[in-house]
Amino acid sequence: MNPVSTEMSVRVTDVTVSYPNGNVALRAASFALEGGTICALVGVNGSGKSTLFKAIMGLLKPAAGTVTIAGRPVKAALKANLVAYVPQSEEVDWSFPVSVWDVVLMGRYGYMNFMRTPRAEDRRIAEESLARVGMLEFRERQIGELSGGQRKRVFLARALAQCGRVILLDEPFTGVDVNTETAIIALLRELRATGHIILVSTHNLGSVPEFCDHVVLINRTVLAAGPIAEVFTEENLQRTFGGVLRHFRFDESTVQNHDGRAVTLLTDDERPLVFGKGGHVEYSKRAEHTEILKKRTESEGDD
Amino acid sequence: MITTLLAPFQFRFMVDAMIVGIAVGAVCSVLSCYLVLKGWSLMGDAISHAVLPGIVIAYAIGLPLAVGAFASGLFCAVATGYIKANSRVKEDTVMGVVFTGLFAFGLVIFTKVKSDLHLDHILFGNILGLAPGDLRDTLIVAGLTLGVILVLRRDLLLYCFDSGHARTLGLSTAFLHYLLLSLLAVTIVVSLKAVGIILVIAMLVTPGCIAYLLTDRFSSMLLIAAASAMGSSFFGVYLSFFINASTGACIVLLQAAVFLTALVFAPKHGLWAARRQGRLVSAGTPAEGRGAA
Amino acid sequence: MIETLLTPLQYDYMLKAIFVSGVIGGVCAFLSCFITLKGWSLMGDALSHSVVPGVAVAFYAGWPFAAGAFVTGLLAAVGMGFVKANTRLREDAVIGVVFTAFFALGLLLISLYPSQVDLRSIVFGNILGISNADIVQVLIISGGTLVVLGFKWRDLLLFCFDPNQARALGLNTTVLHFTLLTLLSATAVAALQTVGACLVVAMLVTPGATAYLLTDRFGKMIGIATSMGVGTSIVGAYASYFFDGSTGGCIVTLQSALFVAALVFAPKHGLIGQRARRRAAASGVGATEVAT
Repeated sequence: MNPVSTEMSVRVTDVTVSYPNGNVALRAASFALEGGTICALVGVNGSGKSTLFKAIMGLLKPAAGTVTIAGRPVKAALKANLVAYVPQSEEVDWSFPVSVWDVVLMGRYGYMNFMRTPRAEDRRIAEESLARVGMLEFRERQIGELSGGQRKRVFLARALAQCGRVILLDEPFTGVDVNTETAIIALLRELRATGHIILVSTHNLGSVPEFCDHVVLINRTVLAAGPIAEVFTEENLQRTFGGVLRHFRFDESTVQNHDGRAVTLLTDDERPLVFGKGGHVEYSKRAEHTEILKKRTESEGDD
Repeated sequence: MITTLLAPFQFRFMVDAMIVGIAVGAVCSVLSCYLVLKGWSLMGDAISHAVLPGIVIAYAIGLPLAVGAFASGLFCAVATGYIKANSRVKEDTVMGVVFTGLFAFGLVIFTKVKSDLHLDHILFGNILGLAPGDLRDTLIVAGLTLGVILVLRRDLLLYCFDSGHARTLGLSTAFLHYLLLSLLAVTIVVSLKAVGIILVIAMLVTPGCIAYLLTDRFSSMLLIAAASAMGSSFFGVYLSFFINASTGACIVLLQAAVFLTALVFAPKHGLWAARRQGRLVSAGTPAEGRGAA
Repeated sequence: MIETLLTPLQYDYMLKAIFVSGVIGGVCAFLSCFITLKGWSLMGDALSHSVVPGVAVAFYAGWPFAAGAFVTGLLAAVGMGFVKANTRLREDAVIGVVFTAFFALGLLLISLYPSQVDLRSIVFGNILGISNADIVQVLIISGGTLVVLGFKWRDLLLFCFDPNQARALGLNTTVLHFTLLTLLSATAVAALQTVGACLVVAMLVTPGATAYLLTDRFGKMIGIATSMGVGTSIVGAYASYFFDGSTGGCIVTLQSALFVAALVFAPKHGLIGQRARRRAAASGVGATEVAT
């Protein structure tokens, strides 16, 4: 929709944010992103993910440090409609009396006149954006009448309509069906190909390597940032999540028949359910389950 | 019969009251749609009480009363915002503390300032006893306020819906925030003459609630709210002529009656519709068209 | 000079007013700790306005005015609960719609039969002219409220803090909910006498909010709030002798002044203390890092 015109970049330099009660939410956070990137922002709840988002969106003024977007300060970048964001579903009042079409048109406000009367151009782009997320036929629906995945698509369409070059997505995959998730990821890849910067905050570790090329690990400050291959390592994740991360090592189990190496499984929100080769439930703490394991080896021996 | 029904229109003060009532109803109802959606319904309550000290002080130093009222109303809103942002006390509590403090202060200085102000008129309005210039002033201010709201209606709606997005579009949310507060304060000052401090809250909440029950579209919400408020104002004034009762009370009670009707019979969000839908669901027929909440 | 200051105390009606105000101030302040923690501050405002039609009806019917006031107050509370549970309207909007409708109804009744009820004494209170019968009513309400709070304050505290836990413990939360509402209505009716409908909410909110700024312990909070409520009510009622009888105005102005003082100077949660801590945090010394 938008040809690659200017070189995009997001630079966060030594940003410290503190709240009125004296709590420091983020200290000396720094990282930089160039155009054509999908970057995951990973950290536990309360690690400063949303604070960092708010600083990039200009909702919070850092006590120290700077954020620049395409070399400009945040305020100028917002005026130039460079930044679009897709909120978390919980933050939206779904019974608000607006239709899908209204919401997508809101993405165009930055281009409209003082009265925000849409021109033909605005309507065309809004329509295109809706079509791109496959929601054109729902344009007259009130937003509360949509399913979780459809709701997310509508807000993605709003971000597209805004033609922002930096797109922030806050937990885009919670409460979303698999089809929508695939569609969103495909769309994000298209946007990356046209030089956008996409910053996704997520605690869904498993999906990160799947569609992101960069990652920023955050816990009250930026612990590590860079390409997935270098930064998304077990050691870094341990540091990011501290004791919060659930850590499962399967030393001896049917996952990998006794070859001396362990399979490690990291997850920060839910306990994984792991089935072994034989379709048995695997346990990470073997001590309590030796009985079961014994039985299992017996039965495997029977095969 | 017909002469009796037309009798109110033969009095100049009745006609003036109807015009002022309709004008105030229009501007309050349009604003109420935003307040209800923003969750600011009780901000109107707070600001309307807080205007009292401003009125008394303005009287004492010879300023126009409306200016004093506007200033202290806005002060209440700003102080509430400041205390909420800088202390751990919850917003509703802060609001309660600030507006009662101002109202009480107003009462105390009222007893010390010898004035010909009528406390009853400030509290309950005096729409039937408008001074000659009042009609003109009210129409001008109400018209201007309504104009500002309508011109900026889309920005204000976006601010109520998703202020974060408004920010990323480069709109100044601080400006919109204070604009909405100022519009609220002006509207309250305009409405004081008609319905008084206490009942202006009803004018600022009920029409928006009525409309919100009846529709899912903001543009129709504005129209429904305005129609119900203007209708209630007209018939309220008209009715009070015959039963010889407080005009403000009649207007507000008519609005409450419309609200009750909407509450029960609203096609989609009313109690009746909900019950019917509940029965459909329990009978195993899923209600169509409703996503997960 | 001293003689002037002592004049109010020579009048029987002043002594009565000071005593009754002190009692009501104390009870309201006690309750205010629960109300502010529960987030029901504006419910207090709404109920105090909703009692007006009840007062009017009680006057015509010759009932004790507290009975009528109490009934419409509870009716309004139940109405709000019902509308909120059954529609998509926000709670604050529902409160606004319901209480203004009740107040308007009261106003209509009074305007239809003007001579019998003095609207001003409802809206502004009339403690200086309180009758002995009314004093008895106020004392009964206050005594009852104190007894219930005294026996059940732990349950109510748990209900305010974590209603789900209260239910899990087998407490009947519906009963607790209505207990608190009933106490709120009852004290609102009592306070109506002193400060009037417009300012009742201050008696039911400001002491609790002030104490909340000063301490982190609920026991202390009750102590601070109650002594503040009693103190300001006594001083305010006394001072109102010099202010043309605006008792409510004096009491609430005093309470607000104390709130502002606490807001600025409170050792831990005051503006000055917070600013100092914020500066310390920004410079990296002794920062308290708490989850956002």
